[in-house]
Amino acid sequence: MVIDTLKCVGCSDCVVACQTENDVPIGYCRDWIVESVNGSYPHVELELKSERCNHCDTAPCVRCCPTGASHIVDGGIVLVTGNDCIGCGACIESCPYDARYQHPDGYVDKCTFCHHRLKDGQLPACVSVCPTKCMYFGDLDNPNSEVSQLLKNRKHKTLAPEAGTNPHVFYLI
Amino acid sequence: MQEELFISGRDIPNIDPNLQIWHWPISVYLFVGGLAAGLLFFAAMVTIMGKADVYKAAVKNAVIIAPIALSLGLMALLYDLTHKIYFWKLYTTIRIESPMSWGAWVLMAITPLSFLWVFSYYSDMFSKFEGKFKLLEKFNFLATFENFLIKNRMNMAYALIPLSVVLGIYTGILLSAFNARPLWNNAILGPLFLTSGLSTAAAAIVIFAKTKKEKHFFSKIDIALIIIELGLITHMIMGYYAGTQVQLEAVQLLVGGDFTLMFFGFVVILGLIIPLLLEISEIIGYKIPTLIPALLVIMGGLVFRFVMVEAGQLTRYLY
Repeated sequence: MVIDTLKCVGCSDCVVACQTENDVPIGYCRDWIVESVNGSYPHVELELKSERCNHCDTAPCVRCCPTGASHIVDGGIVLVTGNDCIGCGACIESCPYDARYQHPDGYVDKCTFCHHRLKDGQLPACVSVCPTKCMYFGDLDNPNSEVSQLLKNRKHKTLAPEAGTNPHVFYLI
Repeated sequence: MQEELFISGRDIPNIDPNLQIWHWPISVYLFVGGLAAGLLFFAAMVTIMGKADVYKAAVKNAVIIAPIALSLGLMALLYDLTHKIYFWKLYTTIRIESPMSWGAWVLMAITPLSFLWVFSYYSDMFSKFEGKFKLLEKFNFLATFENFLIKNRMNMAYALIPLSVVLGIYTGILLSAFNARPLWNNAILGPLFLTSGLSTAAAAIVIFAKTKKEKHFFSKIDIALIIIELGLITHMIMGYYAGTQVQLEAVQLLVGGDFTLMFFGFVVILGLIIPLLLEISEIIGYKIPTLIPALLVIMGGLVFRFVMVEAGQLTRYLY
């Protein structure tokens, strides 16, 4: 997933779309907006971005999970099997992005990149509703895909790369 | 410089203020796990050295704590799971890269072993109870079983040495494996928790010991362990200061932050330095009740687990 911080206006449409699509219980969220102001007046800079699970290549949550409930499926998406999860919280403690939460039913829940929609050839809910079209979703392994082209041509960053997780959500800056 | 940070969407009651998902049962478990590991280690060590007749508390009386502590610890662990009915999934897989997985398997092996160890001293320790209820006479197979255990005590001791060391180290590795929590993410936490667990166990044996010889022997072991522990804590703090930005921020919780009084006051001074001085003075010949330094060491070990679990969860990479 690629998110253009220059186009994001921080409207939280992606948050609401996710909560609706995935039946996220009230008081929880799988994605959220971060608004940060950097610099000292008068040289200040505002950055808006939508954050979620980074579906890391070397996912610490998958490494620490004692039962294998957290796993990586084909295509690199990190998922949690609710009925294999014992709710120990090891994955929550090991996620540098704090992207996971304990569902009121006990198991651990997080962004799935709307895996159920992808199977039908649809985009994740957050991407599909973004009014400024600041989010892009596609195959990073295909050099001709839109996301690969964006990363080739635009300056970008990932969050907390020093945590060694090889995140798969990229921010255009 | 960052002027302002505003996170919307996450500013909701069930996630951000409550990201601390490990509560007091985890600290309690890490403490009792370390204590039980230490007690079983000393019991096995004394038996292998052939000194079981000399250091009786170490092989018998104090070891009663181990199965009780492990059972309490397991209950505490289960209590803190949020998807409890699926806990058995832990034992459907072995995941080498997940410390919690092999910790669960070690517990599975060492907990029954600790019960068997105590049972092998049943007629020896509970002679009054046995005199009243005559369990061994009524149930013949129990007597046969006890004899079998007594014969295999040495084998149990050889199994307990590696298992107890792994259990003791595991309580620390469990935390250090989480790279998202900079306060925990250092390699010294394993040896440090092992040393602390052994030290609290030595203190517990001092409390249970009846002879002056045994008290002094385990006081001396405790003195050595406390000195090693102080060294490891120094290394841990130095490691943070030599670390990255996130570790520098993390160590501020312990040095000059919210946990300074708890860490330096209760763990380092009251839990290590004062009992160290008291134990040395007692051995030199000053009249000091051995109970006081022993209880201080045990208290320090417990507070140490609470400080590490609570403070660690406040440290993070982003925001």
